[in-house]
Amino acid sequence: MFGMPTDAMTPTGFDPSMFMLSGYLLGLLGGLNLLAIILGVVTLPVFFLVLFGVEQVARVTANVSGWFPAKLVLYMFRGLRRSPLRTSLTYIALFVLTLVLSLIYSVLVFIGRVTTEKEADFKAIATHKTIIPSQMPRSHYEDFKKQLAKLPEGMRPVNGEADIMSWSFFFGTTDPISKRPDSNIFAFCVEPRKILTMMDGLDDLTGKEKADLDAAVAEMERNPQAIVMSKMRMKKMNLQIGQTIKVTGLSYADLVFDLQIIGELPDGKYDNISFINSAYLFRQLDAWKLNNPKNRTSEPHPMDAKCINLIWVRLPNKEAFERLAAAVNDTGNFSSPQIKLETASSGFGTFLEAFKDILWGMKYLMAPAMVAIMCLVIANAISIGVRERRTEMAVLKVLGFQPRHVLFLVVGEAMLVGLMAGFMSTLIAFRMIGNLKLQIAFFGAFFVPAEVLIYGPMLGAFVSVAGSLMPALAAKNVKVAEVFSKVA
Amino acid sequence: MPQPLVQVRDLHKSFTRGTERIDVLRDLTLDVGAAEFLALMGPSGSGKTTLLNLIAGLDQPTGGKITVGENVISEMSESELARWRTRHVGFVFQFYYLLPVLTAYENVELPLLLLPLTKEQRKKQVTNALALVGLPDRMSHRPGQLSGGQQQRVGIARAIVTDPELIVADEPTGDLDTKSADEILRLMEILREQLGKTIIMVTHDPKAAARAQRTLHLEKGQLVRDVVH
Repeated sequence: MFGMPTDAMTPTGFDPSMFMLSGYLLGLLGGLNLLAIILGVVTLPVFFLVLFGVEQVARVTANVSGWFPAKLVLYMFRGLRRSPLRTSLTYIALFVLTLVLSLIYSVLVFIGRVTTEKEADFKAIATHKTIIPSQMPRSHYEDFKKQLAKLPEGMRPVNGEADIMSWSFFFGTTDPISKRPDSNIFAFCVEPRKILTMMDGLDDLTGKEKADLDAAVAEMERNPQAIVMSKMRMKKMNLQIGQTIKVTGLSYADLVFDLQIIGELPDGKYDNISFINSAYLFRQLDAWKLNNPKNRTSEPHPMDAKCINLIWVRLPNKEAFERLAAAVNDTGNFSSPQIKLETASSGFGTFLEAFKDILWGMKYLMAPAMVAIMCLVIANAISIGVRERRTEMAVLKVLGFQPRHVLFLVVGEAMLVGLMAGFMSTLIAFRMIGNLKLQIAFFGAFFVPAEVLIYGPMLGAFVSVAGSLMPALAAKNVKVAEVFSKVA
Repeated sequence: MPQPLVQVRDLHKSFTRGTERIDVLRDLTLDVGAAEFLALMGPSGSGKTTLLNLIAGLDQPTGGKITVGENVISEMSESELARWRTRHVGFVFQFYYLLPVLTAYENVELPLLLLPLTKEQRKKQVTNALALVGLPDRMSHRPGQLSGGQQQRVGIARAIVTDPELIVADEPTGDLDTKSADEILRLMEILREQLGKTIIMVTHDPKAAARAQRTLHLEKGQLVRDVVH
C-alpha cells in the first residue's frame, strides 16, 4: 500500500503503486469534473430562472427608483440574455470551477482540522512503529494499560478505563463464493462501551439517536455476537435489524462469524462501517487455535499476533503524552513489535505524509492553475462578446456614456454570471455533501464548511472580473470614429 | 445666412497608416447656421463622415478649431465631449444602431439617463419624442419587431429626446426604401421647421440632399462647391 515499505517494488526500486495512485487521483478528479459538468447542465434551467427572477427585481427597482446604476444593472441582465449559449457555457465553466475548488477547499480544511493539535484532553494513538496499516498483538493492549497505570496522578486518563480503547479492523463477506462488493462488511472490532465515549461523531449524539445507540451498545455488551451496522450498509445489503448473518473473514482467513444485527448507526455517521464486539473476534481467534480441524498443530491463527490495529487513549495534557510516549518508545516495554505513540493529529499527519506532495500540488498548483485557466476561458468568452458588440459600445459612447460606464457594463455582466454560478455550485456542494457530515473512518466527519457559501460566489465573481477585465478595457477604449468608419 | 451655430475654422485632420500620412481634411472652413438643414456630399474618402464626426465631437481634429454654440469642442477632453454630446448633439445613423435587448422606449430613454431628470420628466420626454416620430404605439417593441423605417424613427426619437440644438445624420436614408426614406426626410424637415433644429446630413443621394437648404460638396478633404437650394 501507499506509504508502506513495499516488497512489490521493481528491481530498480521503482514503486508502481504511485502509478496506481496517480491513476486513482486522475480518475477521481475527472469524475468530479464530469459530475460538476452534469450538475452545471442540470442546474442551467434553474440558473436562467433565477436570472430572470433577479432581472425582474432589477427592472422593478430601476423603474421605481429611476436610478442610473439600477438601469445599468438592468442592461447587464438584458445583455446576458443576448447570447444564451455563451451565457450558459460561461455559467457551466464557472460552476465547475467553483464546485471543484469548494470541494478541494473542504478537503484541505478537513485535513487541517484533523492535523491540528489540541492542547488538552486530546487523543493519542499507539501503532506499529513502521507498518501501515499497523498490526500489533493483543498483549500490547494490556501492556499499554499497565504503562498508563504507572503514570503519575494527574497524568492518567481522567475517566480511567473509559478513555482507552483498541481497534481491530475486520473485513469479511456474507458471500464467500462470489465475494461481491455489496456483500462485504467492514467493521471495527471494539469494546462496545467505548463506542459511546471515544468515537468521534458518536460521542456527541443527542435525543433518540443517542438513546438508540445506548441501547445497541448495552445489547452488544450482553451479546458479543451482536453487530451494529450503518443504515447505508444495511440498505445496500438489504438487511434489517434482527436478522442473523454469517460472515466469513477475508482479513481473518478461515474464521466465520455468526452475527446478529441489533442496531444501526445514524445517517452520515460512519457510513458503510459496522461495529462488532472485539471480544467475539478474540474468542473466534482462540477457538480457531483450539478447535479448528484444519489446524492440527494448534498453531495460533496467523492474525492472532496482529489483531490489534490501533490503541487510542485520551490524555489530560501534553506532559502526560510525553511521559507515556517515552515509555512506549522504550524497547524494554514494547519490543515485539516495537510501537510508537503519536497524538491523533500527528498520527493523521503521518498517515497523510505519503500524500503531502499531492496535497501541496492540489493547494498551490492545481487550484491556482484552475483559476488561471478559467480566467483565460472567461476572457476568451467575454472578448468574443465585446468584439461582437463593439458598435453597441460605440453607440453608448456617442450617446454620452463615459468610458467607465462601458467598462462597468462589461465587467458587471461577467460578474453577475460568476456570482450566480459560484453561489449555486457552492449551495449544491453544501446541501448535497455539507449536511451529510460524512464520517470518514477514524478521521472524523468530512463536511463542506459553511464559509464556502461566501467564498464560492466570491471566487466566481473574482474569476469573472479578472477574466473580463482585459476585454472590458478594450470596450472602454473603443474609438467611436474608428468603429463607425469600419462599419460604413 | 442665419446666425452660425457651427463654426469650423482651418480644420485639419490626418491619419497615419504605417509610415504614410493621410490628410483627410485640409484647412477646411465653414459655418452652419442655427436651424439650418445642411447636406454634405462627396465621393467615398472625401472626408464628409470625418467632418461630421469632428463637428459632433466624436473625434479630435489634428488642427484648427470647431465651435458649436458657445463651446469650443476641439479643445475638450474625451469625457468633456461625452458630457457635451449628451446635451447638445443628437445622432442618426444609417444602420439605426438601436440596442436590440431594449425596447423602443428604453432605447430612446438611454441618453436621458445621463441627465439629472426625474423619472416622470424622462417619461414625458420619451413619450413626446416617440409621438413626434409617429410611434407612440410602439414603445414596448424591441428593434427586431420594427420595420427599418420604424427603427430609424426610433433612432431619430433617440436623437431629439434630449432636445439638442444640433442633429447629425450619417446617411439616414441609406438603408431604407424610397417611401421610408421620404418619410424620414420629411421628419427631418419638420424638426428643422417646427423645432428649430440644426441638421447636418451626410448623404450620397442627390434627392435626399435636395431636401436640405444647402449642400456642400467635398473632394479630397476640401470644400469644392456650396449649393443653396
